[in-house]
This record gives sequence, structure tokens and C-alpha cells, in this order.
Amino acid sequence: MLHTLITTLARGMALLGGLVLCVLVGVVCVSIIGREANGLAHSGYIGGVGDWMIARGIGPITGDFELIEAGVAFAIFAFLPLTQLTGSHATVDVFTSGLGPRANNIIAAFWSVVMALIIVLITWRLFVGMQDKMRYGETTFLIQFPIWWAYAASFVAALSASIVSLYCAAMRLTGARTT
Amino acid sequence: MSDLALGYLSFPVLLVLIFLRAPIGLAMLLCGIGGLWLAMDGTTVFMARLKSEVYTTFSSYNLSIIPMFLLMGQFATLSGMSQALFNAAQSWLGHRKGGMAMAAVGACAGFGAICGSSLATAATMSRVALPELRKYGYSGGFSTATLAAGGTLGILIPPSVILVIYAILTEQNIAKLFVAAFIPGLLAALGYMLTIAIYVRIYPDQAGTHARLPYADRFRSLFAVWPVLIVFALVVGGIYNGWFTPTEGAAVGAMGTGLIALFAGSLNWAVFRDAFCKQQQAPG
Repeated sequence: MLHTLITTLARGMALLGGLVLCVLVGVVCVSIIGREANGLAHSGYIGGVGDWMIARGIGPITGDFELIEAGVAFAIFAFLPLTQLTGSHATVDVFTSGLGPRANNIIAAFWSVVMALIIVLITWRLFVGMQDKMRYGETTFLIQFPIWWAYAASFVAALSASIVSLYCAAMRLTGARTT
Repeated sequence: MSDLALGYLSFPVLLVLIFLRAPIGLAMLLCGIGGLWLAMDGTTVFMARLKSEVYTTFSSYNLSIIPMFLLMGQFATLSGMSQALFNAAQSWLGHRKGGMAMAAVGACAGFGAICGSSLATAATMSRVALPELRKYGYSGGFSTATLAAGGTLGILIPPSVILVIYAILTEQNIAKLFVAAFIPGLLAALGYMLTIAIYVRIYPDQAGTHARLPYADRFRSLFAVWPVLIVFALVVGGIYNGWFTPTEGAAVGAMGTGLIALFAGSLNWAVFRDAFCKQQQAPG
């Protein structure tokens, strides 16, 4: 029951991260098309067309890179729970593979506990950082949306990562004890 | 302890942690936290840094090129282009001695042009090429060695995730690095093919061939890979000519391979969902 819930959470976050990434790809492509079309219309004798386009809001998306920055941070945090759940962090196991399954289970359990602690620490600090940004009322340069919105999105993803990583640590600990 | 000694010490500590099977990212983070702790005599500094540092690192515009290129590679994997590339390569090379293995290398090189990761290239091409190689009597060791070597073309032939990371770390021009890596990539592909040709002459029982195909068939199979060429030209050409930044180029590439997959009919909601439930494995 709990396992299904955790798996659903991890997969759901990964999917959400992926969707955000796809939306960002779309935003970038639209922005490029707008910019290039505008640049073309402003060149040479047809410069008037460019002014006409600008007046109608056809052009690059203002502050697209701010959306990318906020979105990519969310996506990376959102992929973290599934990485944790499936144990697919990049590791080097050449030197420990000779130790046998029992020792390796203990090592895996140990690192997932450390990982869980670090992720919880990061999540907590991210929350404090978000509170700072709320207090200062800091906004992005061009779109001028409050930066804490971006922090909040990342915090939600990081919180899911914390829950999943704590669950994984508990599971791998019991797994290491029973083998 | 002086800061310099601390810096020197962090290398062996990092290696020991990695050899003890710590996740590599975690090992680096632990070294960083430990170093800050010792250098600043306490936890205040790194606790304060953690408030914003993690977010600002993940939200870096320059580094966002990496998830974009990974997405591009993931869509490329789904696009079915690996099969078309292998068909094209084997129709031109398959009748030579060791030709099927050469075709696998050639297809890897082609796939490297729309995929920036070696792991993804090797994995995707293996799925297509291994059964074919087995069918023509290539031994398991020879086939997998060919594909493992061919996979390295994924990072040599642009776009390349590794080159992007290198460029960001050393502040080099990504566009120039991409163009510079192209020739070595082709040389490597030719070198692999040459090695295969020599190998199958020493161990001739390893390699079956198929009949020489007429040129009409060859050009037809070659024509089937045109979307790969378009996406490659758009991404690398666009970045090199300054039509868009490298990050934007990666997004264009992801859009391109995504559209290929969509029009090939191999991309539906279930596949899309699975793609993301697997994507995290690459950046780890």
C-alpha cells in the first residue's frame, strides 16, 4: 500500500518534470521563431514590416530564459524522487562488487540513509531560502514574477524527494538487516 | 589546516567515497560541505549557502542545456530512427566482410548526430543491431564490443553532452567545440570500421554477409533517414551560425526529435510517460 503510494508519487513527479521540460522546449521554439521572423522583417527595405509586427506583439517571448531557469530547476528536483526510488544514481561498484551481497546491501543502505539526510537538509534550506525571498519581495528582471514562486515549485518537488528518500532509506535498512 | 591542504585532501577523500560506492553526486556534495565546514570553522556558512546555492545551480540557464539534450536523446531513442539508420548503413555496407558490424558502427555515428549521450546511443543501437548481428553469425563478444565502441561516437559526434559540460567548465565556445569534434568523430567511426575489417580477416568464421543490394534499394533506405539529417543540420548549424544559443539549440533538437517520433507514430501517451519515468537514469 505504502509502496504503491510512494511509487505513484515518484512517477507522478517525474512525469510532471518531463511535461514542464516539454513546455519549456515549446516556449523556446516559439521564442526563436518570433525573434528570427522579427529580425528578418526588420532587415533591409522591409523594415516597416518589423515595426508593424512589434506593435502587434509578434516577436521573441520576453524573459523566456527566466521561465527556463525556473522550470529546469523544478524539473531537476522533480526527477530526484524516481532516481532515488530506483537507485539509479551514478555509482562506481568495481571495488565493492567482490564483497558479496550482504556487505553490499549494508553499503547501499548506509548511502541511502546519508542521501536521505542530505536531501531533507537541502529541502529544509530551500524552504528557508524561499522564506527569505518572500520577505525581500525579490522578482525576476524581465517578467517580474516573484522569485519565491520558483522556489516554491522546487520546494514541492524537493519535499517529494525527501519523502521518497526517507522511505527508501527505511526499506533498504530493513532489507540489509534481514539478509 | 591551510585552505590549500584542504583542497588537496578533498581529492583522495572524494575518490575513497566513490570507491565505497557512494553516489558520485553525493560524494562531491559531502566533500564540499566538509570542506566548507573545516575552512569556515562551523556550519553557519554552508547552511546559509544551501539556502540559495542549490536552487541557483539547478536553475542555471547555461546548464539547462543538459536536460534539454537528454530529452532530445530520449525522443531520438523513441523515434524509430535507430532502425532506419541501421537499415541504411547495412544496405551500403552489409555485403562487405564484417559489413554488418561496420553497419552497426555507421548507424551509431548517425544516431550520435541526434543524441548527445554515449550510453543512450549504445543502448538504443544495441536493441536494433544485436539481433541482426546474431542472425548473421557474429559472436556475442564481437557484437557487443562493436556496439560499445560505436556508442562512444554518441559523445564525439555533435551534439554532445560531455562537450557542453567541458565548454561550460572551461568557458570555451560550445559551437566551435561541436564543429571541432565532428572530424575526430568521423575518423573514429572509420577507425572502428577498419578494425572490424582487419578482425574479420583474422577470424573469418565470425562474420556473415548478405547479398549486395541494388543501388535503388540503397538510396531508398538512405532517403529514409532524412529527418536525422535535418535535425542535425538545424541544431549544429543553428548553434554554429548564431541563430540561437546552445541552450536554445538543444530545445530545437528536442522539438525536432520529438516531432520525428510523433510523425513516426511511435510516440503516444503511454510511451511518453515511460520516457520520463526512465529519463532520470541518464543524469543520475
